Amino acid sequence: MIDLPAKKRGPQLARALTGIVAAALVTPMALAGPAAASARPKPPNVTVIMGTTDRIVSADPAGSYDLPSWTIVWNVYQTLVKYPPGSTKIVPDAATCHWQGSGATVYVCTLLPHQFFSNGDPVTGQDVVYSFERVLKINSPNGAAVLLAPMKSVKASGNTVTFTLKYNDATWPDVLTTGVGGIVDAKVFPFDKLQPDAQIIGSGPYELHSYTPNQLAVFTPNPYYGGNDVLKNKEFIIRYEESATTLVSDVQSGAVDIAYRELTPTQLTALKRSKGVTVVKGQGIEIRYLVFNLKVMPGSNPAQKLAIRQAVAYVLNRQDIATNIYHGIVSPLYSIIPNALPGHIDSFRLVYGSAPNVAKAKKVLEAAGVQVPVKFTLWYNTNHYQDADLATELQRQLNASGLFNVSLSSAEWTTYDKSATTDQYPVYLFGWFPDYPDADDYTSPFYSCPPFMVDHYCNATVVKDIAKEEGSTVPAVRDAAFRQLQLQTAKDAPLVPIWQGGQVAASHGPVTGLKQTLDPSYIFRFWLIGKS
Amino acid sequence: MASTSGSLRRYLLTRLALVVPMVFILLTMVFVLLRVAPGNPIVAALGGHLSPSQLAARERAAGYDKPLVVQYGEYLRQVFTGHFGTTLTDQRPVTQVIAQNGAATLELTVAAMLVALAVGIPLGMLAGRLRDTWVDAGARGFGIVIYAAPVFFLGLLAQLVFGTYLGWLPTSSQASVLVQATLQPHTNILLLDAMIDGQWGDIPNLLAHLVMPAVTLGLVISGVVVRLVRVNVIQAMKGDYIEAARARGLRERDVVVRHAFKNALVPIVTVTGLQAALLLSGAVLTEETFNWPGIGNELIYYLENRDYIAVQGIITVFALAVVAISLLIDFINAWVDPRVRY
Repeated sequence: MIDLPAKKRGPQLARALTGIVAAALVTPMALAGPAAASARPKPPNVTVIMGTTDRIVSADPAGSYDLPSWTIVWNVYQTLVKYPPGSTKIVPDAATCHWQGSGATVYVCTLLPHQFFSNGDPVTGQDVVYSFERVLKINSPNGAAVLLAPMKSVKASGNTVTFTLKYNDATWPDVLTTGVGGIVDAKVFPFDKLQPDAQIIGSGPYELHSYTPNQLAVFTPNPYYGGNDVLKNKEFIIRYEESATTLVSDVQSGAVDIAYRELTPTQLTALKRSKGVTVVKGQGIEIRYLVFNLKVMPGSNPAQKLAIRQAVAYVLNRQDIATNIYHGIVSPLYSIIPNALPGHIDSFRLVYGSAPNVAKAKKVLEAAGVQVPVKFTLWYNTNHYQDADLATELQRQLNASGLFNVSLSSAEWTTYDKSATTDQYPVYLFGWFPDYPDADDYTSPFYSCPPFMVDHYCNATVVKDIAKEEGSTVPAVRDAAFRQLQLQTAKDAPLVPIWQGGQVAASHGPVTGLKQTLDPSYIFRFWLIGKS
Repeated sequence: MASTSGSLRRYLLTRLALVVPMVFILLTMVFVLLRVAPGNPIVAALGGHLSPSQLAARERAAGYDKPLVVQYGEYLRQVFTGHFGTTLTDQRPVTQVIAQNGAATLELTVAAMLVALAVGIPLGMLAGRLRDTWVDAGARGFGIVIYAAPVFFLGLLAQLVFGTYLGWLPTSSQASVLVQATLQPHTNILLLDAMIDGQWGDIPNLLAHLVMPAVTLGLVISGVVVRLVRVNVIQAMKGDYIEAARARGLRERDVVVRHAFKNALVPIVTVTGLQAALLLSGAVLTEETFNWPGIGNELIYYLENRDYIAVQGIITVFALAVVAISLLIDFINAWVDPRVRY
């Protein structure tokens, strides 16, 4: 210690004492942080192996917009909020959050204590800000920066993070639950480019122990995880397979414990009969629907075109499709919003009935002066959606009514997507996989003007209903708006919903927890999976 | 002697010089075919999820709207500077794809070639020696049938019989999951990696996974080997030196084994090299069938997703590999046979 003159010693001493006190206060907290987190109960000595034909694009939250990549994100990183198993009600993950004020433009999140990355770094408000800003900075061509479009700014004050939106958007909390909301360590992840997959770290329940691209990913518990999820295994391994055929034989032989995505209905039926294999079905919200391009579909005027769409809705037999084509893996869908989501009503059942009604279809066509049979080509895709059987069944149903003369055509995916949105297909099949389990994700893209499908449908009343539900955080207000727009769009029928998919997995041996995690959020929670 | 070695040198230099335009034409064809095919990686990945305007914005940001000539120039620059770039669909350096998955393909193709030679050479020799007998007919029939059978069909059959029904062999992948999880990827040829780390206990597991795909692919190639060896043996048996050997009183067995067979095998070197291209194309289907993580598997994925960068890089490597092997065979032939010169 330097011997200072007496008159200078006072302030120096005060500063030194302050420092000592501060260190005494901070050090136990800092030391207690990771150590306290690692004092969690040890998970059971169980290794779970899951086979899948999925492939990841990027394990960096800024670099992906696909389910396989987000599956990694949800298990390795934390988001601010999340969906608990079996529920679409948002709960805290790394933070508790709430709307500030009466509208839906300012959303405030306060980080929960004792959250650490797997390298021991604490999760701070600045990490959260960094995570979101780098998504926009990188703007990866495969990323989901588009989901952050409503965000005007994100700022941190200590461990409180404030999102200011450009306009009212009640779905903002849902966006935060998606892969794009994964919180990264600002000291590790570069700001202007993606982190290599093998070098990701997060504050979620798992860390990526080792990764062989498109072959094997090994996850082990994050030693510093501070969340409230309890792990049922000590190691979770994903084997990436090229084809569903080998995946089926692997789960039959027990080479993998779980086979998840993408198994066909035929393969699942075969697996149900396999010894030692259990097929588990959970609720899913993937949908399939018919799209009518209002510009090029058959019909001489808007009234005739409407009549044709309504006639198709009357004739459609969804139950036959679900049973005969999909062996019960999917369920009939009577609204563009799946029935697992708040705000859903069976609008098409209310307007057209649940059973096919050829007589009413004929009446509608006659009233509009439409000559029958109505001739058109139904387009479908063979590789991205694999809809050949569905298209064939639709053709059969429509032609059997005597009111339609439908021919089929198909195209591979990139051609199909381009052609469908450039007025080349009058009627075609399409699918939708949600970003998050909120009814708005099924209405805003399809019924805003212009619509995502470029089917030329634009109804001002529906657009107002969308604005109403997006602008309110009150469930009753949103439900009322959803009800209105579902009824209107059922009557207008620019899209005719057909089925909503279940989530299915097959397991070999005494695997537990599958049913719990197969829910509408599509979050495959590794920590729930164990063995009895 | 001097003129002979000069002739050989001229031959080698000429062959080397011809490689350049050959590779250039191939690269151009790959580029054109990929660009002509509809779609691009962004539509493949995010079509149906983003609106057309959002897709178009990303396409512009990625440079897919640049003139083809500009894109072609960038492509050639990357190839000739050895910078194959990063895949568009999964952000992997293309060199990593080639090194990692190429090693797996190398493992499979070498094993398959060994099977092809081990089956094809003895069978071909027998067929040639016992010409017009039931052995000859059987071997020829085998050669035709096995060569005509699609490799994926044979693979599926093998998986069903030996994997599912008999349970003797695993039906997919390079190793069981837990073995692969513990291996360090030094060379990405798992057999070698296990040996390097002294994990001898894993070798049976690795070999068990290699058997079915290698035998499947090897058998298909053996069909060609059988027929070529047979023809060579028959030709060799007609040679004057065979008559001379018989006239000198050698036993028939010595005549056949020490003279005829040896000479019949010389062209096998050429055959082996020529099968390289066949092996690589067969490996694509074999890898798909057996979930073998080779470069063929990756090629299919990147093609489906219009990943220009990845496909260009992989095809370039494929082409260079075939060219290199063909060149090597030509050199060996020219060195062995003075008649093969310019």
